[in-house]
Amino acid sequence: MQQAASRPLMRKPKRNRTEFWMLLPSIVVLAAISIFPFFFMVYASFMDYSLDMDRPRFAGFGNWADTLTDTAFWQSWGRTLVYAGGGLLAQLVFGCAIALLLYHIPRFRNLFSTLFMLPLFVAPIVTGLLWRFLLDPTYGLYHWVLNTFGLDIQVLGDPSYAMFAVIMMDVWEWTPLITIIVLAGLQTVPEEPLEAADVDGANSWQKIRYILLPMVRRMIVVALLVRSMDILRYVDTIVITTEGGPADATKTIGYYLMQVAFRFQDIGGAASVGLTMLLASILMGRFFIKVLRSEEA
Amino acid sequence: MNRSWVTKLIVLAIASVLVLSACSSGGNKPGSGSNSGSSQNATNVNGNNSGDSGQSGNAGNAGGQPSGAADSSDPFGGWVEGLPKIEAPEGFDWKQFEGVTLNVITENTPPSSGLAANIEVFEQATGIKVNIEQVNLDIVVEKAGLDFNARNSNYQIIYADPYQILSKQAKHFVDLNTLNNDPTLPSIPGGLEDFIQSQLLVGGYMGDKEHLYALPYDNPTMVLAYRKDVFEKYKDLFMQEKGYDWTPGPDMTWDQYYEVALWINEKAKAGVISEVKYGTGHQAKQHDSLMNDFSNVLAAYGGDYFEAENLGDIGTENPGKSLLTSPEAIEAAEFYNELLKIAAPGSTTWDWNGLAEAFAAGEIAMIPEWHEFAGMFENPELSKVAGKVGWTILPKGPKGRGNMYGGTSIGINKYASDKEIKAAWLFLIWATAPQTQYMILDAGFTPTRYSVYQLPYIQKAMNDPESQEAKEWPLASSLIAAQEAWKEGNVYMRPKIPMWPQIDTIIYTELSKMLAGRQSPADTMKEIAKQSDRLTGN
Amino acid sequence: MQHRQKLLHAVLYALMTLSLLWALVPILHMILSSMKTQVNMFEMPPRLFFTPTFDVYQEMFFGRGDFPQFLRNSLVVSVVTTALCLLLGVMGGFGLARGNFRWEKDVSFWVISTRMAPIPAVILPLYLIFSKLNLIGTTTGLVLAYTTFNLPFALWMMSTFFKDVPADLEEAAMIDGCGKFRAFWRVVVPAAAPGIVATAVLCLMFSWNDYLFASIFTGRGTQTVPIAASLLVSQSGIKWGQAMATGTVIIMPMLICGLLVRKYMVRGLSMGAVK
Repeated sequence: MQQAASRPLMRKPKRNRTEFWMLLPSIVVLAAISIFPFFFMVYASFMDYSLDMDRPRFAGFGNWADTLTDTAFWQSWGRTLVYAGGGLLAQLVFGCAIALLLYHIPRFRNLFSTLFMLPLFVAPIVTGLLWRFLLDPTYGLYHWVLNTFGLDIQVLGDPSYAMFAVIMMDVWEWTPLITIIVLAGLQTVPEEPLEAADVDGANSWQKIRYILLPMVRRMIVVALLVRSMDILRYVDTIVITTEGGPADATKTIGYYLMQVAFRFQDIGGAASVGLTMLLASILMGRFFIKVLRSEEA
Repeated sequence: MNRSWVTKLIVLAIASVLVLSACSSGGNKPGSGSNSGSSQNATNVNGNNSGDSGQSGNAGNAGGQPSGAADSSDPFGGWVEGLPKIEAPEGFDWKQFEGVTLNVITENTPPSSGLAANIEVFEQATGIKVNIEQVNLDIVVEKAGLDFNARNSNYQIIYADPYQILSKQAKHFVDLNTLNNDPTLPSIPGGLEDFIQSQLLVGGYMGDKEHLYALPYDNPTMVLAYRKDVFEKYKDLFMQEKGYDWTPGPDMTWDQYYEVALWINEKAKAGVISEVKYGTGHQAKQHDSLMNDFSNVLAAYGGDYFEAENLGDIGTENPGKSLLTSPEAIEAAEFYNELLKIAAPGSTTWDWNGLAEAFAAGEIAMIPEWHEFAGMFENPELSKVAGKVGWTILPKGPKGRGNMYGGTSIGINKYASDKEIKAAWLFLIWATAPQTQYMILDAGFTPTRYSVYQLPYIQKAMNDPESQEAKEWPLASSLIAAQEAWKEGNVYMRPKIPMWPQIDTIIYTELSKMLAGRQSPADTMKEIAKQSDRLTGN
Repeated sequence: MQHRQKLLHAVLYALMTLSLLWALVPILHMILSSMKTQVNMFEMPPRLFFTPTFDVYQEMFFGRGDFPQFLRNSLVVSVVTTALCLLLGVMGGFGLARGNFRWEKDVSFWVISTRMAPIPAVILPLYLIFSKLNLIGTTTGLVLAYTTFNLPFALWMMSTFFKDVPADLEEAAMIDGCGKFRAFWRVVVPAAAPGIVATAVLCLMFSWNDYLFASIFTGRGTQTVPIAASLLVSQSGIKWGQAMATGTVIIMPMLICGLLVRKYMVRGLSMGAVK
């Protein structure tokens, strides 16, 4: 009976029965806590449903039409593109650069990489509070530094700088993750190709470009996959610092969703916005995993 | 075959949930009667609002003689001569709800920390356990909404923000009239008449006056804070140059305010004034605070957001058409836009907290700010301007005056059990009783009762800034202004309508775009009007 | 040549110092500020030498507030979540890595996609389930909520790690007479230990740092430290001293934990990503 039940799932039942039973509890727990929310989102996205209503009413494509025709929704996606794209790119560049830096310095490598890791452990809500503190026009350390250099700007109060500032907060917190992953990869690169390159008279940049970077490409993709999932979802720093402003400059799709779900308590609308985010995440995940698999092959 | 597979999945799912719930018995579910020991003090990060209560003198004790011989039906103590008494029907057993646990959800405001710090008074008198959970307002709104939506009563007592909770969720609250009129239960000491009436209207009712849903609990109001030292020192100089007495007061107009602020800016830049850097500062972040700050000007120019009657007091389901395309509103927006151009440059970064901190750091001469910040300004540990701050009502405009009111009430969740509802009623009575309000003054609390303001102690504190009483109760300095601000014609109450959170967001978002120079004041008002009319279906 | 080498190193160290400044100044400023009085804290330029005061910490830990309770709650929730996700994730990750199921790729992608669900949109459905099961405001509820994002992460991480452990290892053990399960515990798990540690630290970090779920699913008595941090921004001012101290306290356990297992973590992370 048991075998009959599980056989259709497996190609080689004999060999893999234990693995199947080992995986099953996770699948069940995951299903229990994620499938219902998913179907609920799909259901709610077709209902006129807000928290203060007695019962949801069928709305057809009403929420979808409202969401997809809302210019603020698309503008938020546009800003998200800047936020996520800019953030990931900066993290990637800085992360790799600093990993290479650490890789090349002869002494104190462990000490420096340990110290550099610290921002990673700061809770996002604390990151927000901390940067708000640093950038405050009255007593912010960074505001004062900027001022001393003659830059009298209101970083969080000016739409031209606010987005840059919230990206920098994300970069500050998460660059170390990329750095340690890439550095770990660099340390496993074997000596031979590098020595061979030396013999061929390659310069440092050529060694980085043609030997080191290709060898850690896979790790970079993994790091980007994890980060790309979270950069869309997490809005803690924006909630604490700019709350989407000024002039909507930092209202990313994540913050837009927070507003619809929590402030307006519009469950139907939130579900449709949430599903577009899920879709985008999945597409992005697919993309990175595809890249990953092609690397493996 | 398929079915047995499914059955196994279900069995496993149930088993894993069971294991999970077993493995974390540390869980502490609100609503279940039993509770662990850690409950004497309510949730609060640092216990009391220590920042505000640097002055440790207990205002409650200093004032009058705590009467030991209070009515025998009042088990709470702390009553003083002149206040209405907490009275119960003959033979009422205050301990009849012993063992009930009440969960209160409230914003982390002064009365909440004051009550939390003194909760043992109530717990000992009634045997009812009270958990006061203090969170940020958006979390209160969300949790109350979820509770009501699921017809739950995880929270029996809810901080009923008039605009974000009461206006939408009134039907989920117990009609307090039924409890107040119940002959077997105690009734509100001093009666409903003792609440400041305008605050009762906006905080207690929704749509009509038949049902009373909540009792006024706090009442922050926007007034003008200014630097007395600056205004005294340069009074003559200003008089020479501009020809009038510039001291902020009821006669000041917004145009004069602008002129004064600009003058201070220039003198500060020229090095004549060294005490402050800027004339005015504002809470103009893309945030609820921006709507509040703008509304003061809007009201003074004779504008309002919507056309319906009773918009600001008992509230209405349908606000009617937006009025923001009116010439008054556009004029107000134009003025506000100009005003913000000469305001401290940090203004677009600040909500009320950031603004208050800048003022406390001595940067700004005048700010429209919530009166409760007096506690912070007068605390030398938090402020460089202690003893130098004057308060008055906000300037008037061509067509009147507006001082934004931001008070909130507390009410009872309808889905609680009968016993819990009655226990919650006892809590409401105690929490809003004049003697309790008197007791928690030192938490930075502002009474919502007429009777408390009549006490000699309070009168002394408010009218004589040099008195010992005033020093013990830092809010006293701003309260004369606040009381003036609550008067008809001076106060501004925002629309109490179910879709306010959305409208509010539209207002402050578009205003923020205006301040960033992205759109003209007239276009801003039209845009807000267009979006709100679409939302309200008008 | 020697000269150029030296110059290059000088440049490298200079750049490194700059990066460290960028990374560490905010944290140092936070820690120093938490030991200053509020008036000192706001002084610009900041004072580097001052008499530290630990009043804020004293108030937090021994004052009237519930901070120790917040800390305990955070600890319990994070540790329980991590243990649960690790237990399931280690077994499941192995199953996923070795399983060779018909829909392996789909299952594997489904697992990771459950981590992508936008939190504000899933809070209501989770709330509905939890309130049916009477889990609102309980530690169990919060553990379950954290499991929604930590379990897929653990599964996915562990399956990459296990893929790198050669199958010969367990087959050799099985030839020696171990059952498959025993072989797994005795041989495969130790071989993947760095990966497990790395996963554990990251799971711990994600639960310890979460704010959004905690803000909705906790009640009085189960609130966690990030909630405590958020409460310092109140309607009547921001308590910066306490905010900085709370921030310092929040990062400390993660810091210690992360530093203790740094070697494992780096090895674990590289193992997951490098073939």
